[in-house]
Amino acid sequence: MLTLFTAVQGRQVEARLEEAQVVAQLVRRCASGDPLAWEEIVQRFHRRIYNICYRFAGSADDAQDLTQEVFIKVFRTVGSFDGEKASFNTWMTTVARNLLVDHFRKKRNDRATDSIDSVQGADEDGPTLADRLASDGPSAQVHVESRERQEMVHRALRHISPDLREAVILRDLQDMDYREIAQILKVPEGTVKSRINRGRAELARLLQRTYKQAL
Amino acid sequence: MLGETKPGTQCAEFDALLTEAIDGTLNGQRRERFDQHKAGCPACSTLFAEVVSGVAWLNEVEDVEPPPNLIHNILAATSGVAQQAAKAEPRRTAWERFLVQTRIVFAPVLTPRFGMSMGMAFFSITLVLNMAQVRIRDLTPHNLSHTFYSSQNKLMKYYENMRLVYEIESRVRDLRNASDESEREQKNRRREKNSNQTQEQNQNSEPDPRPHREFSRGQNVQYVASLNGSEPCLMTHSGLLAKPRREI
Repeated sequence: MLTLFTAVQGRQVEARLEEAQVVAQLVRRCASGDPLAWEEIVQRFHRRIYNICYRFAGSADDAQDLTQEVFIKVFRTVGSFDGEKASFNTWMTTVARNLLVDHFRKKRNDRATDSIDSVQGADEDGPTLADRLASDGPSAQVHVESRERQEMVHRALRHISPDLREAVILRDLQDMDYREIAQILKVPEGTVKSRINRGRAELARLLQRTYKQAL
Repeated sequence: MLGETKPGTQCAEFDALLTEAIDGTLNGQRRERFDQHKAGCPACSTLFAEVVSGVAWLNEVEDVEPPPNLIHNILAATSGVAQQAAKAEPRRTAWERFLVQTRIVFAPVLTPRFGMSMGMAFFSITLVLNMAQVRIRDLTPHNLSHTFYSSQNKLMKYYENMRLVYEIESRVRDLRNASDESEREQKNRRREKNSNQTQEQNQNSEPDPRPHREFSRGQNVQYVASLNGSEPCLMTHSGLLAKPRREI
């Protein structure tokens, strides 16, 4: 069992190294002004960056705008990327995180007035997520329930503190390792692990309370 | 060791090992100690349960699909950035780069205010040069040296002429002084002569014994009258006054 786990880990490491080499070559071509290399980078990373932005910002519109901003900044500063300091993935996530932190600071007041039980979308008279989950009942389809649960997690994520949220998102939603997260957040690995634990626990408490209300 | 030390320390170590336990990388004795503490500490046990629950919730979350036009929008935005960068920094020749650098250096000077001042100064200088009848071609080095030497010659001639005039003036003044002195000497001589003659006459004649009299045109006016062959006599309107004296 341990041998199998080690072998899987080894293959993952090799795959990551190969991808890192390919990305490094793409970045070099992009820095020298190759538009095709830039397009390839956008193709590879847009989904990941969009998801990070979506989890941080909370709305699809904000996520789209922020993703564009991230790529514009990456495009402008790609020449300053140093492959010896960090991987391109880590560097790009750092750029995204910094932009998101700025965005969060601007929208702090909006967040303070938001509530996990607030209505979704623009329909102010519509039911809350908890109400809709309660009204679905046991006959609700699994797919719909899964989507609703994802939505609950997504909304709950917006209500934990930003320090914990970014650590949790990078670890559990972006599968980054602790060293990379420590580089991005510029804190020690021990702090990263502590934040991840507290973030997960806080999220669970929030969701448990909401889910109980829904049921 | 975990489970044997003080409660605070145990919980801190538990927290440090929690991520590894969740990731499944905590093995051997460390895993045993971790489980042992979890079983004995309600707070850490609750924390472990919450973290496991949170991970379970988060594992349900899937990536959301980005909007279909996102890639197109990003490429359009970044191509706009590239075009802006190209517009901002076009390729320039060495001369154009020099001009750009010159503009940067003289940027503080090339302002409307400075331009107006320069225009006024140029206008004033031109006006003064026109009034002084100085032409632009006179300002070449050759013409400037020519003007300098001609001006110097004029100045020298003027100086010489002035010296001549002053010399003539001084001569005339000397001559005038000399003639004045001779006239003064002649006058003195005449005066001396006259005075000598007067002294001589005074010495020869007697002193006048008559008292001083005042004559007027009234009835007291006295006339000296004489007839042919007769002696002159002194008269007034009223009649004969006295016989005249011989001296009169």
